Amino acid sequence: MTAAKKGRKMTDKKKVAILWLGSCGGCDETIVDINELILGVVNSVDLVLWPVALDFKYHHIEKMADGEIALGIINGHVRNSDHAEMARLMRQKSQVILAFGACACFGGTPGLANLRSKEDIFRWVYQEAPTVINPKGVCPQTTTSLDGKELTLPEMFESVHSLDQVIDVDYYLPGCPPPPYLVLKAITAFLEDTLPAKGSSLASHKALCDTCPRNASKPNKVSITEIKRIHEVEADPTKCFLSQGIICMGPATRSGCGESCININIPCRGCFGHIELVADSGAKFLSGLASMIDADDEAGLEKISEQVRDTMGYLYRFSLPISIMNQKKL
Amino acid sequence: MKEKEPKIVCFSCRFSWGYLGSEEDIAARLENWIPIICTGKIDPVHILTAFRQGADGVLILGCPEGDCHYQDGNIEARKRITLLYNVLKSYGIERERLKLHLGADPVGKTMPQLVKEMADTVRKLGPRSGDNPIQKKSAARTK
Ligand code: SF4
Ligand code: SF4
Repeated sequence: MTAAKKGRKMTDKKKVAILWLGSCGGCDETIVDINELILGVVNSVDLVLWPVALDFKYHHIEKMADGEIALGIINGHVRNSDHAEMARLMRQKSQVILAFGACACFGGTPGLANLRSKEDIFRWVYQEAPTVINPKGVCPQTTTSLDGKELTLPEMFESVHSLDQVIDVDYYLPGCPPPPYLVLKAITAFLEDTLPAKGSSLASHKALCDTCPRNASKPNKVSITEIKRIHEVEADPTKCFLSQGIICMGPATRSGCGESCININIPCRGCFGHIELVADSGAKFLSGLASMIDADDEAGLEKISEQVRDTMGYLYRFSLPISIMNQKKL
Repeated sequence: MKEKEPKIVCFSCRFSWGYLGSEEDIAARLENWIPIICTGKIDPVHILTAFRQGADGVLILGCPEGDCHYQDGNIEARKRITLLYNVLKSYGIERERLKLHLGADPVGKTMPQLVKEMADTVRKLGPRSGDNPIQKKSAARTK
């Protein structure tokens, strides 16, 4: 850290806000996981909001001037009116918005709920699920009158949205959650004013296969005659998963995770999302997978196709809300 | 109420379909026609985009088996389409709405008929909404 930066007065510090929307908490956890280095970050910025760790209230943010926050970090997806309202407030008050984690960037795993309508979800959760006992058919409403008072709840939207379907986003930091080293890199780039062009992903620009240690074992032409699921076989820890007939999203996924899944013998599930200029990484992967299939006739082809259990879970585990068929601006 | 004519998007490979005929004539008889070079060029992205933009059906005309100008583009297309059926099913789009037909017709005379046959099949399935297939599926399930 330079002497000039060290000597900066409290008031000179850049204001940073961290907000969670529809989030599991993992993205906040990864910020904590930068361990003692977080103290350096905390010392160099003025944290004005971090609901998971600090007691600041939303109305503090409302009172701030527009653009007063230098960096707004938002994790989680947008599923209800409360999320949307907070996202818009952050956009108004922040110079730079960073979509943090797969949920904010692409909708994330909760986005798979978009395969069901809101109506279906409510019916299942409040009526039909075998564990539900609800004879009166109670179901949450956005407004309820009680003792002359009106109680309100946020409205659940029809579908899960990525952050950029709701507000303008400046940068993306993918991952579920993003690994601590990339978080630190992103925050350092922000503090040192070395952020790339607006709209960039703050991770690698290569596909995972390009950085995967197993790539060398991948034959020029992968030929799949049977698709196996990872729990059904003992995968060879040195060989490319696809060459073993195990679905690995590496070819269609951005690198930068540190190959953390591959290193523990688990195939890539795609949490870093698409690489630049790819409109729908699920569809792209499907295309690549099809070309690897080695079947003599239509019946053989159908058989292998049936072996792809939970196709949508493979193709869109983190990205259904931004897929061609599903994407929708709020 | 008069039923709307199903919208069929037809991709066809130039090597077997209509290369001797006049492109204007074929285009005049096929509303959503996209001539291409090799069905192996058709990506699931194109097919999904057609459905997203409101196609009721997608018909792909490729060269006969063993007759691909680039060796096996038509077989590659078949593989992609077979896998894509899994995706379409999740969106509530019936298998009949996407069809690969391998054959040849240098003057392209039969192309309107093939599209019409596809339209007839699709008409029996009823219309589908272009921009929100999920809602459509849920509505169908509650009936
Ligand atoms: S991206 Fe992953 S870790 Fe972050 S909120 Fe979503 S599910 Fe949790
Ligand atoms: S497919 Fe998976 S295992 Fe194979 S090289 Fe790519 S990332 Fe590595």
